[in-house]
This record gives sequence, structure tokens and C-alpha cells, in this order.
Amino acid sequence: MTSLDSDLRGLEDNREVFVAHDQPFEKPAKEFVPGPFFVSIEEAMPDLAEESFAEDSSGEKKLAVDRRDLMRLFGAGALLASAACVRRPVEHAVPYVIQPADAILGIPTYFASTIDRVGVVVKTREGRPVFIEGNPEHPLSQGSASIQGMSELQALYHPERPTTPRIRFGDRLVDASWEDVHSSLADVLKDSKKVGFLIKGTTGSSIQFYKDFLKQIGQSEDGVYLLETNTLFNSMAEAHRLAFGVDGIPRSDLRRSKLLIGVGTDFQDGGIASIFETKSWSASYSFRNGVKGRFVTFENRMTQTGSKAAERFVIAPGDELGVTLAVVEALLAQGGSKGSASDKAHIKAVVDSQKALIDSTKTRLKLDDVIAKLASEAVKGGAVLLAGESSASTQNGTLVQVAAIMANVLLGAYESSLLFFSQGWFKNPSRPGDITRFIKDAAAIDTLFVVDVNPTFVLPASFGLDAAFKGIKHVVSMNAMPNETDMYASHILNTHNPLESWGDEELVAGFWSIQQPTVRSITNSCQAQDVMLWVAAKLGKPMGFEDYRAYLRKQWQVLYKASGITKDFDTFFMAIQRKGFYVSQLTKRENVTNFADVSAIFKPVAIGEGFKLVAYLDSKLGDGSHSERPVLQEAGDALTTIAWDTWVAINPLKCRELGIKYNDLIRIKSPAGTIEVSCYPMPGLHFDTIAIPRGNGHKNGMLKISEGVGVDPLTLLEAVTDPLTGDPITAGQIVTIEKVGKRYRLAAMQKHNDIANRKDIMPVQTLSGAVKTMREFKNLDDVPDLYPSHSLRPEDTASGKDKRGSSWLFPMWKASDTYRWGMSIDLDRCNGCGACNVACTLENNIAHVGREQILIGREMTWIRIDRYFSGDVNNPEVAFQPVPCQHCNHAPCEAVCPVFATTHDEEGMNVQTYNRCIGTRYCGNACPYKVRRFNWFTYKWGVMGDRPVDRNPRALNPDVTVRTRGVMEKCTFCVQRIRDAKHNSKQQGRAIVDGEIRTACQTACPTDAITFGNLLDPNSRITRNRRDNRSYLLLNGDASKHEYGLKTLPNVNYLMKVRHDGSQGVAANEPPAGMEHP
Amino acid sequence: MATVRMSFSHLAKLIVLASLLATTGCGRGHKFWTNWWTPGDTVEDVGYHPEQPIDFPHDKHAARGVPCQYCHSSARRSAVAGIPPLNTCLGCHQYVRTEKDPIKFITAKWKANEPMRWTKVHDMPDFVRFSHRPHVQKGVACAECHGEVEKMGTVQQVKSLQMGWCIECHMANKAPIQCVTCHY
Repeated sequence: MTSLDSDLRGLEDNREVFVAHDQPFEKPAKEFVPGPFFVSIEEAMPDLAEESFAEDSSGEKKLAVDRRDLMRLFGAGALLASAACVRRPVEHAVPYVIQPADAILGIPTYFASTIDRVGVVVKTREGRPVFIEGNPEHPLSQGSASIQGMSELQALYHPERPTTPRIRFGDRLVDASWEDVHSSLADVLKDSKKVGFLIKGTTGSSIQFYKDFLKQIGQSEDGVYLLETNTLFNSMAEAHRLAFGVDGIPRSDLRRSKLLIGVGTDFQDGGIASIFETKSWSASYSFRNGVKGRFVTFENRMTQTGSKAAERFVIAPGDELGVTLAVVEALLAQGGSKGSASDKAHIKAVVDSQKALIDSTKTRLKLDDVIAKLASEAVKGGAVLLAGESSASTQNGTLVQVAAIMANVLLGAYESSLLFFSQGWFKNPSRPGDITRFIKDAAAIDTLFVVDVNPTFVLPASFGLDAAFKGIKHVVSMNAMPNETDMYASHILNTHNPLESWGDEELVAGFWSIQQPTVRSITNSCQAQDVMLWVAAKLGKPMGFEDYRAYLRKQWQVLYKASGITKDFDTFFMAIQRKGFYVSQLTKRENVTNFADVSAIFKPVAIGEGFKLVAYLDSKLGDGSHSERPVLQEAGDALTTIAWDTWVAINPLKCRELGIKYNDLIRIKSPAGTIEVSCYPMPGLHFDTIAIPRGNGHKNGMLKISEGVGVDPLTLLEAVTDPLTGDPITAGQIVTIEKVGKRYRLAAMQKHNDIANRKDIMPVQTLSGAVKTMREFKNLDDVPDLYPSHSLRPEDTASGKDKRGSSWLFPMWKASDTYRWGMSIDLDRCNGCGACNVACTLENNIAHVGREQILIGREMTWIRIDRYFSGDVNNPEVAFQPVPCQHCNHAPCEAVCPVFATTHDEEGMNVQTYNRCIGTRYCGNACPYKVRRFNWFTYKWGVMGDRPVDRNPRALNPDVTVRTRGVMEKCTFCVQRIRDAKHNSKQQGRAIVDGEIRTACQTACPTDAITFGNLLDPNSRITRNRRDNRSYLLLNGDASKHEYGLKTLPNVNYLMKVRHDGSQGVAANEPPAGMEHP
Repeated sequence: MATVRMSFSHLAKLIVLASLLATTGCGRGHKFWTNWWTPGDTVEDVGYHPEQPIDFPHDKHAARGVPCQYCHSSARRSAVAGIPPLNTCLGCHQYVRTEKDPIKFITAKWKANEPMRWTKVHDMPDFVRFSHRPHVQKGVACAECHGEVEKMGTVQQVKSLQMGWCIECHMANKAPIQCVTCHY
């Protein structure tokens, strides 16, 4: 391992040589190139590169067997083989006893459900969920499931899921039957004076259920506490309550906005309704028909959202309030600002009282001109200001939201319905003050049910939860997976996964989504509410429902009665189950007006001086409740590309000042605690900020999968809360840092599979350029002397012989005249979130390899997301590029395979035949895009190193072959879906229609960046995208200048990122005639 | 344990021996010690006639005019033909031939809610993605691949099911013969 690694490192050191000699093809298109990129900080600032790891090898595991021993073992293996052949396994077929009436073997059944606050469709095969995608009809999903939602499959089949409830006797945990649990809990409740429920934040009926339960057993209904780690919900809801006296969170509709001002906004990383907001953002803030909205953001760490901004300004945590108020002040000064006279008077009162803060912020951050210009642009209309979770988690979080409301009042965002309150506003799944209330009440509670949350991990230890839980006589932990709260539990009950449970959510006022079981309990688990029903019955106070489904049906009776539907309730409920959601008459009310006088509560806390910590919710792992899922760990962070770890991001210039290098271990101290974590010099971070993602650092002994992975930044946090919501403050606390003097390598993937530093990877168009040329179409397929060719060109027919479908290399190859599959990826939309990667991994049975293997470049993902920085290291421009197999028409890999394991499909795909592959890896070496993945091991046996992973055969997609050791694999364009669509269309005697096939990555993409379809259909969306003037082929030069680069002619094309160049393009004017604004 | 000393020639002999084994195999459907599907596996399986939980007489059913797809109903709609669930059997055999031992056996299974555990006769390797649907839809007779099942007692394999055999038919019928047609 070590030697291979240092070999790789050696190559990197000789990069200059590499570049100089690496020009065997036609000259690169220079004017096509926006500027140099850097993929890691070493390239921009070589002095920050980690030192050679040669001296550090003592810590790494050595190969246990040396070469000589290996040969002996090999010989012994051959002997064994000669001694006994292993019989090919006899396979059995076990049919149903009674087959469900509508089940057809081999044909999936789909269930509509709700997971992670998004409507989804769960695909099941023979009763087992195998894939989750968004419900296209569900307005909050619009066809895309969230990353966490998709990964729920791995939690369902998790090898470490407990199979029995356990009861603690003294210091012994004893396996119990559910019957025992019910009686034991009934005994416990008989003697309890105060009973509490600490449940995961929800908008559904389960809150009412627990209240009903408490009432039934004669307890106070106040004992239900909601715990939601995303502080944005509470601060937005509380701010709107203070400002307008309304309850709820406005729904933002970015589709009709032209200018988005963000203050720590991170709706693409997480937030209120990430998928919904990202979809509406991508509709108007990516280039389309000459229109591209402008997104300007101020943020304290580099978020995925911020990386898509046209202009991004770096601020420190705590500056959000000053910046937002400065915007408000500037808007007040503008003549054209909206809002009534009383609104303006109230706003002015606040601004005047905070004059000192505004002025000091503007001077310190040098934002005077920027904000004045922004305000003058914003009052022209169509502007909205959003403040996100990364500002809401600072100490003045709620005040930032209040200031944002002031700005939006002045911008007229409520009036013009860019922010909705009149119809269909978001319900708050959290409740302000619940966390502090719980901690206060904990001493009095003697039985606490903890349902679907892990408070011990997701709240900072400084809140005194340890003492609080120890003081509670009986803690009943009801979670699907083991977690830290189990340590305090007298009863550890394994509950259902969301895929096995009943439930509902009222995500938007008047809009209900249902969650229904898609599979019978896989382990011996039970739904939390069902346990409570049983316990109530044992206590002699039955609630009168046989299960939670019956309770839900009772709740839904209310909606049914209000709906006026004439069919009976069962028909109604069955229709809901089929559709997944129900829109009653959306609750209507007047849109908010009359901004209240908030100057009394406007008392911001002063920000301290020094290094400020931002402990943020990781966009994949969240608060850590999902860290048991290998797919989320392995997908890697969007901006750092680090997998299976926690890192601390520090500004590169600060690193230089402190003498810290990449991968140096840093000790971070605060009054609350100390952690040691490796440094990632992060371009675009404030000089005085360090950012650490949450989600990892679980205690040992919980789960093997996340044991020893990363550290928990919450250790550093003091018990400070937002005074208005009582939510813990996770950003802006002061810490000190020092070098430990050791190094620990972070598994960052960006430098793997590097495309040899070519410069024409990521061309960027300016907005004015893109608008100018948007009517000119390209023909990327017009490459001279290139066969196989799918296109019919004049010179081919002129010679008298139709050369279409011919190939000098493979004479037997004949192109199909019906289909040629292509994919288009819009880089102006892509925000690097990695949903495509997660969906691909789950759809195609891709193995997880773990940190150690990733460190030596053996990750198996079929679609990697490259992240490129360019420009100033202090505030770089970021571009993301998902790279699946490019399915070249003139593929270098096909020519080198000695056994024809990789060949060209008639329909343009580059296909891999696993059973032919003998693992020479020639193709991987020949591939200029480095998208081929080699199976160094057989990963299917359920362990990855010493970690169990979800390779449960039941979780695998039965339509995709599981690859074994020694086989090369790569993106297949989800050929199993193509095959399925073909069989369907053939049966119905028609051709496949555009949009019928959606690849897994395409379904998951929240920005709709990926399009897939038939390139031979002149009207398909993919054909239009390929003809688009922004379209280009990776490493294929610029065909319009007769530069063809590698001439691989991929079937995957990219649409260039469009950069705002100061010109307004069409954006400021009306769209061109005949085109509608999206 | 004594150290095994090995010269190059020893090793070469071993490798030759191993590869010989791999190419010839040692009889039907035997597998070399690696995870790879070696040529040893691709010997023809014609005549494979495994023992089943009951001797299901296809001849008695098919010969009496029960169409194949009465029981194997998913063949025309799905990749798998589908072995019928017990309730399909019991649909008739609650009333017909109830005195026979095999019927008693399956009735007992049905009552106990225990599935049957058949042994696959026509078993494709896992890297082959065969689908019944397009074949049935095109009108390929079941017997083309499964032989005259209506004349068999218990089913055995009569066609080779090797790739060459598939390709021959595909070429004759102008069906696709690309790798990705079956391997993905």
C-alpha cells in the first residue's frame, strides 16, 4: 500500500513534466478556456502541500504476507484446487404459498410514501424495497428523492440492525419478547409521576398520538417534546411570528425571481424543503433561453449553495446580522423600495438603533459599495433575500431572520408572492423552546420515551444531557438503529424503519403526505406507536385502536369529511395510498402585511473576537443520525470530496500564517472540550473561521460501521442558545487552534482519476456570450474521419456508399437506426450535491470500499463529481462536473481490450461484459476520462475491511449483476432500465418515447441537470441539448474551430457553466419573442 | 509445519495443472476455486435432472391441455416464467386427485403456509440476464428451449443453454446478438 501510494505521489510531484509532454493530440483550444483551475490547494499554494508520507508509514498497516509467502500460499491454493473441485451451487426456486393477487414475479411494485419530508415512490421486487425515487406528482419532490431518503434502503437492510428488544436488569441487557416489553413498560408507567416523549420533529399526526396516549394514561399532554436539529425551522417561524404574528414558514417561489440575495443561505445543502427550493432555484438561476437570474450571497463557510452564486462574499459567523441590516438600510435609502409607511417606520427604528453594528460591519468587511449597488439593483423588482441555516445557527440567528423579513418587506417579496403566506405555507416541524423546556423538565420526568432521535449525539454535551438522562429513572429508547442514547436506556426497543412504518406529514398547511409500509418487518421490530397502544391496553386504559394505521385512519377521517368526497372512506384512503398525498382545499389566508414594531426584542448579542467555529449539518450525514449508511459516508463531501471522515476547513492563507499544512492534525480547544482533527485548507473561507461538519464521531461500541470514523465537533460547543428559540448555537463560538505535530490523511477523492491536467475540461461561457450565441446550433457529431459513426453526412453519401454505421476498427459493427443513447449534463445547474452518485450506487449494486481503499484510489463510484476551483484562493469560483462513463463512439478502451470484454453497442453505448473480463485493466489505463473502476476484491460478502456493510442480497437490485474480484466495471447508462423500456415498447408495438427512460442519476438530480434520451430522435430533449451552443464534449476540443481534441466523440455532452459578466443579458429585459419565461 | 519449498518449475507445473483443470473441469457444472466463472463451468448441462420435493408430472398436466402459461403466468409479462404458488395448485387439487400422496403432501404444505422448495433445472448463470417476456411475445414456443415438457415426467434439461446455442437462434431470427443484450 505504502509503496503504491508513494509512487502516485511521485507522479504528482513531476506534474510539470507531465503537462509539458502530455500533448499527443491536437492543440488544445486556448481561447476556449476561462483560466487555470486548481483541484486542491497544493496546486494553488504548493507550500501547503502535505509532506511526504514516507516517514509516517509506521502507523499504517503493512501487508501481512510478503511476496515469497504469497507465492507459497498461491501454490497451496492451486494444490487445493487440484484436490477438490467445488460444485457449482444448486439453485432453488421458492415460490409463494399464496401469491398476492396483483403481484407478478419479476415485475416491480411501486408504493407511494413519504420519507425525509419528501414524497417518494418505493420500488419493491417480490415484496422487498430495492430503490427509492421521488414521486413526480408530489410538489415537494417533483421526481427527486433526497439523498437521505434514498439511503433509507441501507438502514432497512442494515446488518447491524437489532433483531430483538432488550430490557436492562442492573448492568445486564436481556433480550426480551415484545410481550415482556409491553408488561414491563406497563409496570414502569404505573409508578411514573411524569412521563415524557422526546420525538423527532414532525408535522404529522404522531404528535397528537403521543398527546392522546399521555392523556389516556392520565398524564399531562405537555410531555411531548420535539427535537429538530435544523435550527432554521424555529428561527424562521419565530421571526415571522414576531414580525407579523403569523404561524408558519413562508414558501419561497424562486421561479419568478430575478435576483436572489443570500445571507448564509444553504437551501441546496439542506433546509426547509431542499428539493423543492433547489428545483425552483435551478429553473430560474441557471441559463435557459437567455435568462439567468443573479444570485449574490454572503456566507461564513463555503456551502454548495454559495458555490453556485454569481457573486459570493465571505463573512465571519456572526456578521450575518450586520450584513442583512446593512442591506435593509441601503434599501430604505433607495427611493423605489416597497412597504407601507408604518412598515418603513418600524424598520427604520430598528435600523437606527443598530447603526453602530451596521457601520462597523460594512467597514470591516469593506461592503459599502457592494451593498449600495445591490440595493439599487434589487429595488427594480423580482428580488428576494433568503437567510439560511448557516446564519440561523449563529447566536443572533432569529434576529437575522427578522432582518431578512425587513429586507423582503422593502423588496416587496411578500406582495409579489415570491414569499408565500397566503396559501400553502410550510408547517414548522419543530417547536421553539422545546429543547430548553425538555432540559428544564428532565429532572421531574421519571419515564422518558425517546422516539427516532438520538439527543445524546445531536445536542452538545455541554447542555448537561448526561446528567439529565442519568436522573431519569426509565429511559425507553425507541430507534431503528442502536445509538448513544441506548446507554441510558432501561428499555432498548428496535422500531420500524420508515419503509416499514405508517405515518403522515402535513408538510405544507393543508397538504398531507402519507407514509405507508412497503415491506413487512424485516427484523423483529415494531412500530413505536403500536408499542404504546399495547402498553395502554396492558395498563387497562386501551386507546381503542388495534394499530397505528387505525389511528391514522381516524385522523384522516377529518380530512375525508371536510373533502366532501361522495365515495366511502375506504376508497378515499386507498386513493391516498396510491397517490401518496392529499391536497385538501389549501388553507387560505391573507398574505402577511403590517410589519410589527420589533425594536423591543431587537437586542443582538455582541460577537466575540477570535477564531470562530462553525459546526454545520453535513449535507449528506446531517446531524449524524444517518451515519450508519455506507453510501452516505462514501459519497464524499461536495466541496472537499472527503469521504469517511471529519475535517476542519481553515482558510489557506491562515494555514500559511500558522504554518499548517494539508492533512496536519489540529488540536481545537474551547472551554467545553478539545478535539483533534485533520486540516483541509479550504479556499473561500473567512480568515477567522474554521468549519467542521457534523455527523461523524460516534461513540465506540454502538455500530461497527461508524466506529472510529471522524470526530464530533459538538464536543467543542458551550451551552449557548438562541435567546428567541432556545435552539443550540453551533456557529460563531470562539475556539483556539494549535498544531498537534502529527498528520492524519483525509480520504479526499478529487485528485484521484485526474484527467491529466488538461485545460479544456471546463470551458465557461459568459452570460452575454451565451445570449449572443444561443440561436446558433452546434453539430458536435460532425467529426471528420471518425468511425464508428451514427450520423449520415453528405461526404459519406457523395462517395456513393453510405458509410453510416460502419467502423474500420470493428467491421461487423452496425449502427442502429432507431436508437442512439445520449446523456447531457448541465454544468450551470449542477451543484455537486452527489445525489446522482448515491442513486447510482444503490441502483447498480456498487460496492463500498472504505477509507483505506479510497486513500489508494480504489473508490468504485460510477459517477464521480469533480470539483474545480479557479481564481482567488480566498474566494474562488467553483465548478462541479459529474463524470460518468462518456460512452465514446470512438472509445479508447474498446480498442485495447484483448478479450473483447468491452465493446460498442449498436445503440452507441460502450458496454462491459463482466463475464468476459479477465482484469487486464488495459481499458482503465486507456480511458482518458478515468471512469472505469476495477474490483480489487469481491466486495459482496458484507464486510468492508472490518466494517460490515450493506451487501445484504435482499438489498441488491436483482436486475444488475453483482461484480466479483478481478472485473472492470463502469457506468452502463442504467442499461437495465433501457432494456425494460424496450421490452415494454416492443410489447406495445411502438418505439420508446422521449422521457420514458430515466437513469437513476437523472431521477435523483434535484437541479434537473441530467437529461437522458435518444439522440436519433430529432425532437428529443437530449438532441436539443446536444445541439445547444453551450454544449461541448469532454476533452474533444471545440468543433466549431475544427479542433477535435481526443476525437473520442462521447455520447455524453456537457452544457457549459454560464458566468455573469456584469451584463444583464436577457435577464433584465423581457425574454426573447416567442419564448416564455421558465 | 514444514516449510513448503518451491522452485520455479514446481510452480509452473502447478499452474499448468490448475489451468488444465480449469479448462477441462471435472464433470458437469463444476467450478474452479476462484470466484470466476471459468470455462469449466460451461460444459453442457444437457440431461440435468435433479431430484425435486415431489415428482411433478408435467406430462399429466400438459397432455391434458393445461396450457404452460396457466401456471407459469408471468412468462409473457416478466423476465421470469414464475413457478406457480401453491394456491394455483390447490385451485384444482382441493377437488381433484386429493387421495394421491403428492397432493396430500402439497395440501399439508399449503395448510402449514410453508412454501415448496424446488430445484432449478434451467439455471442461467447470474451474469446472464435472460428475459422470458420478449421471447414469449415474439411467439417462441416454450419447447424451443425447454424441450417437450409435455412428454416428460419430471423436467430435465434437454437443450444446452450455452451462449453459442442462444446466438445460433438469435442470428437465424435476426434478434440482437450484442453482448449487452444479455450481459449487464
